[in-house]
Amino acid sequence: MSTTSETTRAPSALRLALNPDRRKILYGFIAAIALFVIGDILKPGFASSSGIQQILEVSSFVGLVAAGQTFVILIGGIDLSVPWVLNGAAILMVAVANGSDSNLAIGIAVGVAFGVVCGVVNGLGISLLGVPAVVMTLGMNGIIQGLSLGVTHGLTCGGCTKPPPTALVNAMTGKTLGIDTSLLIWLVVIVIVTFTLSFTTFGRRVYSVGNSQRVSHLAGVNVKLVTVALYGLSGLFAAIAGIALAGFGGGATIGMGDPYLFQSIAAVVIGGTYILGGRGSYLGTVAGAIVLTTLVSVLLAQNAPDYARDIVYGVVILVILLIYGRQRGET
Amino acid sequence: MSEQNDSGARNGSAIEGAGLHKAYGGVLALEDATFRAAPGEVHALVGENGAGKSTMIKALAGVIRPDEGRVLIGGEEVRLRSPEDALRRGVATVFQELTLLPRMTVAENLLMGREPRGTLGLIRRRWLPAAAADLLAEHDVNSVDPGELVENLPLAQQQLVEIVRAAMREPAVLILDEPTSALSKREVEWLFGLVRRLRDDGACVVFTSHRWSEVTDLADRITVLRNGTDVGTHEQLSEEEAVKLMTGREVSTAYAEPDRAHEGEVLLETEDLTTFGLEGVSLSLHAGEILGVGGLEGQGQRELFHALFGLTPIDGELQIRGEHKRLHSPRDAIHAGIAFIPQDRKAEGLLLPMTVRENLTLPILGRLAAAGVIRPAGERKAAEGMIDRLAIDARRPGQPVGTLSGGNQQKVLLGRWLLAESQILLLYDVTRGVDVATKQDIYELIIKLAADGHAILFYSSDTEEIAHLCHRVLVLREGAVAEELDGPEISAEDIIGASFREETHA
Amino acid sequence: MLEGAIGTRGRGAPTPRVGPRRSQVVAQNASLVVAGTLLVAMLVLYIVLYMGSLRAFPGTFEAASITDHAVPLSLAAVGQSLVILTRGIDLSVGGMMDLSNSLAALKLQGGFATEALWTVIILLVGAAGGLLNGLLVAYGRIQPILVTLGTLSIFQGLALWVLPSPGGHVAGGYTGLFLNPNAPTALIWVVLLALAWVAFRRTRLGVQIFAVGNDEQAARANSVPVARTKVIVYVLAGMLAAGAGIALATTTTGGDATGGDVFTLSSIAAAVIGGVSLFGGRGSAVGAIFGAFVLTLLVDVLFFANIDPLFQPFYQGLFLVVAVGASTLLGRVLVRRR
Repeated sequence: MSTTSETTRAPSALRLALNPDRRKILYGFIAAIALFVIGDILKPGFASSSGIQQILEVSSFVGLVAAGQTFVILIGGIDLSVPWVLNGAAILMVAVANGSDSNLAIGIAVGVAFGVVCGVVNGLGISLLGVPAVVMTLGMNGIIQGLSLGVTHGLTCGGCTKPPPTALVNAMTGKTLGIDTSLLIWLVVIVIVTFTLSFTTFGRRVYSVGNSQRVSHLAGVNVKLVTVALYGLSGLFAAIAGIALAGFGGGATIGMGDPYLFQSIAAVVIGGTYILGGRGSYLGTVAGAIVLTTLVSVLLAQNAPDYARDIVYGVVILVILLIYGRQRGET
Repeated sequence: MSEQNDSGARNGSAIEGAGLHKAYGGVLALEDATFRAAPGEVHALVGENGAGKSTMIKALAGVIRPDEGRVLIGGEEVRLRSPEDALRRGVATVFQELTLLPRMTVAENLLMGREPRGTLGLIRRRWLPAAAADLLAEHDVNSVDPGELVENLPLAQQQLVEIVRAAMREPAVLILDEPTSALSKREVEWLFGLVRRLRDDGACVVFTSHRWSEVTDLADRITVLRNGTDVGTHEQLSEEEAVKLMTGREVSTAYAEPDRAHEGEVLLETEDLTTFGLEGVSLSLHAGEILGVGGLEGQGQRELFHALFGLTPIDGELQIRGEHKRLHSPRDAIHAGIAFIPQDRKAEGLLLPMTVRENLTLPILGRLAAAGVIRPAGERKAAEGMIDRLAIDARRPGQPVGTLSGGNQQKVLLGRWLLAESQILLLYDVTRGVDVATKQDIYELIIKLAADGHAILFYSSDTEEIAHLCHRVLVLREGAVAEELDGPEISAEDIIGASFREETHA
Repeated sequence: MLEGAIGTRGRGAPTPRVGPRRSQVVAQNASLVVAGTLLVAMLVLYIVLYMGSLRAFPGTFEAASITDHAVPLSLAAVGQSLVILTRGIDLSVGGMMDLSNSLAALKLQGGFATEALWTVIILLVGAAGGLLNGLLVAYGRIQPILVTLGTLSIFQGLALWVLPSPGGHVAGGYTGLFLNPNAPTALIWVVLLALAWVAFRRTRLGVQIFAVGNDEQAARANSVPVARTKVIVYVLAGMLAAGAGIALATTTTGGDATGGDVFTLSSIAAAVIGGVSLFGGRGSAVGAIFGAFVLTLLVDVLFFANIDPLFQPFYQGLFLVVAVGASTLLGRVLVRRR
């Protein structure tokens, strides 16, 4: 409404450095550490070196999917198709690789390409046809589910029930360069994604579009291209996660992607990224993913029943949102 | 401190703010401000942006509660908790931000809360348009279709509806905050008629405006605010005196005038430009020239600017520096050296949560990057250079643009395009809602830019501005160029006359 | 110079009563018309395929079957529409249906009194869940998609706690009240639901809901109690979801704590197909009911077209995207026309 008074004090350098977004990342990591401590108290050995590695390994899969989710949420969108993009890519990879190491590369390539294509189609529907993200990605999820189950006759076809190539299984269940392979992949992704968002022209444009599509358009940013690219990336990461999971778990199963929808969104939100777009970072999502996984592990270590996990998931996310909401003082 | 009243007579008070204090986080918006308006008068509240007009109005309207001081309605002290509270006591307010519901019809908006009811107390939706039509007719508005969705109406008609909605409550006090900002001359005349009728019926009307001619035409009394306090209430006030009161110093209200245009090369030329709202516009824009676009509201000015910036597809020829160009998007226009500076910098110009530096460099990111990676030092240098050049009052380039004052935000916007080295600047109503002192800065900047060789296409809702600032003026009517005015002595009357001159057709 | 658009001074000469122009009514209700057309088209397609497959005209049994399956989705879709109209979204619909389905399968037996009591209790549970949603959205100021994502999880957990493994059933007498396998009596409930909407739309609360979805700030300036309206909307949605869960229990042979999951997304689909705008402030719950029937018929259409049931989600997803995409494009074309 009215302009503020003509001279407003500029925020000091320190306040800028510790702005609310960065603070949230800090809180996220602190929460993760706190959870490890609590877990160890409740069950000694929880926070041992191997215990931590195990949890980080499981978080890495959530973190992979959440990378794509972070991208699309940053422009105010959402990707509800990750469950079946993940699942479909896993099935494709297994089927194409057909159990042999020599076909592994092709299998991975096909799976990854599949994810990108699905994501790009999402992006095109959203930016060109104007279909809202919720509807488009929801529909896409169903489309992929139907295609996957229908074509493979419910995952009973010959090629899809074969285990993935041993090279992949060994890699995913073992270590590379001294740390768990899945963790290594995640680290690489973290570096690449964080660098992209913070230091590249593309990253700058992502934040710009997330803040205002109209202003970005008028400043020469190709909003449609950015949108399509981001949904493509989301598909890419979901596919990578699916392939990695198939290696880790020894095969593709029906519904393997389902838990990752909630978890990827929760990780992004816990990490402080603004659901309407324009603010946030992947580092926050990383913290969020770890917090989430640690929490579940603490519960499982307590032999809590299945339903308790669901309830706690929900309560945790609501509590965190309440805390953030009050801090920010805005919707 | 409030000075002596010019007018001796005290006609009782319809609405009054006495000794109001209001601070927003350490910044005083109102300091011991007093305002008194009487029944049966039209009272203007004037002042620069940031002088406290909006805050005063919000306090009188019940939107905010002052930290100290009293608000009185009809002589009685009140503690207003909400605008509804104020409404119940007979104070209706029309703010600049419209409070109409866009996806509902005019009728639904007008009759909200007082819809005609039928059996079982349920609303009779079928009767809504007729009831609304009656209301509109009572207030002399026949151009608005009550069955139309508000979002499909042009802004001026929306404002009419908003005003009727307040007036139809027959308030004892009607407060209008910048009511004429979106209205054409015809509609302003209608508003004046409405205001005068209300006044003659004994109501009190308070309004704010940046247009001095309106203030002198309409107001019975004028109160000036400066720095959060009242500095005088007068019945007569010339513009110079008013500006002196508003700014506390002598500020020339004379418009800066540009030198004769050095006939530079033709940077932009169109032939037979046609699109939705434009019919065969042919123009040429030279380097060093400020070309004005005049005419009544809604005659194609906005369409022309949008078309030249690649926002709409066009038929016809467009040439930049003699080369034929097809602009499919703002990106194409930017590559061709065209910049568009809109009036609404919040919704169309700046990304408020992002930093000054990021806003400045947005269109030229490619130039500041190597292989897609932004070079931080290069970006910082570019941003700081522009901040210095335009004297933008930002303590550090890393602060969010939303923390800057309005005038400085406008400078950042301009700075973005100067950084992009755009030669052709499309300035669309950039001084709307800007206060007097900053306007002068902007005029000087524009003239300097032209002298430096930029080609400027200039539109303003203030015809005086166009008349004084521009070398040439194209007057649009119904999407076509009706007349071209040239020469050093273009006057606002010339432009307005050309807007109306009818040629008769078969 | 001043004549023409603005009339010269003339106080209130009464204008003859004129109703809304027909073209306007059509334009503003375009999405409802489209949804109705889709429904008719789907119905025709169903009949054609049915006759092609079974060489007979579908009878009351088929009508009953379709209606019975459409009722839970209709209830859920209407609740979802209310929320979407305020520019929100309710992802917890499926969870609440899980919970109420489980409770219904367990408790809706043992005589009229017990059944009636438990019906009330289940509806109250729905209201409570909705209240939680509403309070968090309206006063906690958290985005609806996030709140309901959290409560979805909570309700699903609660459902699993109530009914860890599928089982239970609803008493036959109770079921008979709502539906009759041989005749589409459930249609009565659907019609009642539609009529309730038509009346509701014409109440002050109904108007306020549209106002909130249009523009919260403006609504507030229009004396609409925004927060309270939102809370009421989520409570109603919760109750409707609970009712949908009960309806689901009456149509299935046993309770299942995950049986409602799919309804989250299909209630959104039904509402969207029915023309309720995800941006709030526009649409009709009657459209959502049309959408629910369209989606239910779609399943049968696929069946009679001999499509492998495994492919169902493919067609449902494709249908959703195409329907919404087409209507958005249509909207753009119409706007350009004016």
